[in-house]
Amino acid sequence: MSLRLFELMLTAAGYTVAISAAAIAIGLAIGILVCAAKLSPRLWLRWPAIVFVSFFRGVPLLVQLLLIYNLLPSLGIAVPSLVAALIGLSLCTAAYQAENLRGGFISVPRGLLEAADMAGLSPWQQFRRIRAPIALRLTVPALVNEAILILKASSLISVVGVVELTRMAQNLSASTYRPLLFYSVAGGLYLAINWIVAAGGSVGERVLRRGRLS
Amino acid sequence: MTFDVSVIVAALPEVLAGLEVTLGIWLAAMVFGALGGFGVAASRRFGPKPLGILLGSIVNVLRGTPFLVQIFLLYFGGPFIGLKLDPIPAGLIGLSAYAAANFSEIFRAGFAAIPLGHIEAAQCVGLTQAEIVRRIMVPEMTMLVLPQCVNMAVVLVKETAVLSIIAVPEAMAVISALGSQQYAFVESLFLLALIYWSLVELCSWAGRGAESRLSKYRFS
Amino acid sequence: MNRRILLQTVVGLALTMAAPIAARAEDALAHVKAAGVLKVGTETAFAPFDFIDEAGEHAGLNVDLFNEVGKELGVKIEWVALPWDGVFPALESGQFNMVAGPATITKARAERYRFLSPIAEATVAILKGAKDDTIKTPADIAGKKVGAGKATAQLAQLQTFGKTLPKPVEAREYPGYNEAYADLAAGRVAAVANSLPNIAYVASKQPDTFAVVTPAFGQKSYFGFIGTKKPDDQPLLDAVQAALVKIKADGRMKTLQQKWFGLAFDTPDVAPEPTF
Repeated sequence: MSLRLFELMLTAAGYTVAISAAAIAIGLAIGILVCAAKLSPRLWLRWPAIVFVSFFRGVPLLVQLLLIYNLLPSLGIAVPSLVAALIGLSLCTAAYQAENLRGGFISVPRGLLEAADMAGLSPWQQFRRIRAPIALRLTVPALVNEAILILKASSLISVVGVVELTRMAQNLSASTYRPLLFYSVAGGLYLAINWIVAAGGSVGERVLRRGRLS
Repeated sequence: MTFDVSVIVAALPEVLAGLEVTLGIWLAAMVFGALGGFGVAASRRFGPKPLGILLGSIVNVLRGTPFLVQIFLLYFGGPFIGLKLDPIPAGLIGLSAYAAANFSEIFRAGFAAIPLGHIEAAQCVGLTQAEIVRRIMVPEMTMLVLPQCVNMAVVLVKETAVLSIIAVPEAMAVISALGSQQYAFVESLFLLALIYWSLVELCSWAGRGAESRLSKYRFS
Repeated sequence: MNRRILLQTVVGLALTMAAPIAARAEDALAHVKAAGVLKVGTETAFAPFDFIDEAGEHAGLNVDLFNEVGKELGVKIEWVALPWDGVFPALESGQFNMVAGPATITKARAERYRFLSPIAEATVAILKGAKDDTIKTPADIAGKKVGAGKATAQLAQLQTFGKTLPKPVEAREYPGYNEAYADLAAGRVAAVANSLPNIAYVASKQPDTFAVVTPAFGQKSYFGFIGTKKPDDQPLLDAVQAALVKIKADGRMKTLQQKWFGLAFDTPDVAPEPTF
């Protein structure tokens, strides 16, 4: 493989990382809202959140991406390839992240909240100083996992016209007749990226473990 | 935008044939994946160390790369090393290997989560290693790993859609081809979303049922 | 209708951060000229029209031809590459102004879309393995596995032809022709059905692997670029059509055909009535 082609693969890997990172961040923001709605006592908030999570976890990303790319424009909303890919990945990961966060909030020990009540903390203070930090700490491993899943899932966004790592490997395999080489290089690059993410995640976990409650 | 599902209903036999392939590959990958995954997890725990390291690295590769890349490598790279598989066998083998890698991690965590005291107690009353695995570890682990296994089943049914890219005639390939032929693009996408959504919800519902029935065997 | 507007508003609000609401220009030509960009959808696995070359660059007759069209219209070309079965849905939903491809001009398509001036012949023939002696005429594919692209007119022609043979042909549908060629090289299929310009190019690039079976088995047909029949799109398509006719008349088309097909040929200025 010439240096030029390897550069193309690296650039495509860069796109994969950038799009996945953006999707994780947007997905986290939406996930927080969905999680809040799902934990809400109000039925009209809870219900849409339940359907949202069920739909985006129940339909293959391939179908979601095609729906977004082909349906939104006929409703008058422009979604260029990159935007469609970003929306699809973000909504998909939002559904998973909302569930992870919900798991974190549910796992906050009741005793801590009762103690906070006794100490006279307002519900907002309880949320900011006790529930949110603990839930977040509990969710970090799941977040790292989710980042890796999205990096892998981003291999599908070429169906809406984004050339990322897998698509580049597919293009170059076809033009050079060397699928073994290019798919292996793509696989190696995914492994390297995911290894870095996992390593970063365990560093983050160690930092957060300082000041742990138990 | 017009919405007309009649063209798809008219092709019901083809749709059902596609669904059959989807369900067949899904179930087969579940069975092979769970058995293979258990074998890998057990070998890593009880087998010789070099074997454990080898299996561990294979598992990491299969879990660290996209399924699409794996299936491309198997299907299009395979013939270059004398491995020439047709789409359905390639899809089946690819998905089973992917499933086995993920199941093995679930079982590994399950083995690790069994309280050491239970195993020590069993050793004290004189159970052999095989008996401990069969009578203590497997039953306790089943309960521990069931939710993740249901999750895995959901992941796998969605991954079968990816097989349309290597021309496996499963639901996604058949229904989207129908949509193209009949210019019923959006209708076919809605139908696909509905099919997978129902399968996934059905699967989660069955999983919850199994969990509540098995919960009486829970040790804690 | 009310519900649609409600949905539009809700989804629209949700997306204002991510995407600008489409300014639906009444006249596509004015819109393209104002933006200075003509968006063209295509599939990049259709050599020699549209493909990724050994250097990883998007190349082919379409690229060169649209560069000329771009010069005539005074706009830049922006390519959107999709799998072929995704191209028409995206054209209809307005993801791009037109489709390169090119697509075989068929009755069903001509009813739904507007074809521009044909750019090549599209008649379908058989590509086989170079060392395969069992296929001497197109009819020899009877009872064999033959690959073709999903959602293509070539696949439809293959299926029609297969039904006339004593033993049925097992047509295998691929997301793109590159995969079909790879499977022919690997021996998973006995032949690939595609238009003559395409398989002639592939066979000339890899004479040790592939060979073209003559004569063509399909009915005579042409390749053309495609737009919608929406009234708003017509001024733009008229302009592209005029540019194509001009490029044909002044000999630029012949030069490009020579470059990509190794020979030049005449194509009518207006898409002829398709026979199938």
